[in-house]
Amino acid sequence: MVNDRGQIYTMEGVAAGLIMLLTAYIVISTTSIYTPGDTHIPDMQLEQLGSDVLAMMDTPDTNGGESRLIELVRGGTGTGDALRDEFLAGCKMRSGGPDDDLRAQVYLSYRTSGGSVKMIPLSSTDPEFTGRENTVRVTRWVQLQTRPTTGMPGDMALRPQAVLVEVLLWRA
Amino acid sequence: MACMNEEGQWIVLMGLLVAVGLFFLALIINQSALVGQTTAEGVLEFPKNDIRDLRSAIFDYTKGFGNVDNISSRSVQDDITMISLERKNAVVSFTVGEKMDVSGRWLHPVQIHYNNGVTEYDETAYH
Repeated sequence: MVNDRGQIYTMEGVAAGLIMLLTAYIVISTTSIYTPGDTHIPDMQLEQLGSDVLAMMDTPDTNGGESRLIELVRGGTGTGDALRDEFLAGCKMRSGGPDDDLRAQVYLSYRTSGGSVKMIPLSSTDPEFTGRENTVRVTRWVQLQTRPTTGMPGDMALRPQAVLVEVLLWRA
Repeated sequence: MACMNEEGQWIVLMGLLVAVGLFFLALIINQSALVGQTTAEGVLEFPKNDIRDLRSAIFDYTKGFGNVDNISSRSVQDDITMISLERKNAVVSFTVGEKMDVSGRWLHPVQIHYNNGVTEYDETAYH
């Protein structure tokens, strides 16, 4: 006859083995490898930050006044760098030390007098921009009374118009 | 079984309970990574800022032009529609109606339509 002593030890062993296996499975599947395609959370935060700063710049200081953003866009390429610097200063404003890794580039989309849509860079090109950065794009509509006299391309129509300010924002 | 010492069974029981507890904690950590990612994806996908900005641009337009229909107003409308399509991949159309009495205030009814293929947004606002 087979001796049936110690069966409870066997059952305990089986239960412990199952628990250990399941724990190992869960622990291993908890670890996720951070791949470049997995940057949604920082992207979302950066996009929200950029949109908020553009909205802030588009708010006039007084009721009926002109916002800083419109003022800078009216200056065209002449004030494009100032626009970028003020935008970045707004993004870097936080408690603690400044956030020096942020970079931005400002573009302007407009319609030519012929009716097609064109895009020009407003700020000077970032020397380290390779085009492979993980950027987010934030935009803001600006309405101009007429074509500004300086800093704008010659094929922009001479009439009241709506233009789109586009800012590429990335972490270097 | 008969000769087994049954003292200290509660230690074994506590061990089991702790193991089960750890299990659930591990499950929660396991899910949290997924939750952050899917939430962020959802937020990125939904064009909240685009719609807000478009609304304020259209209200600016209404403030400037009202419901007049002339060459300038039509070209600003075309600017918004065409730049939206080209640069934001969104089909946008809006109309501004005659001023009407809204609870004692004279406001333009503004119809806004927005569709970027994922999110569709229609609104009649009074401005």
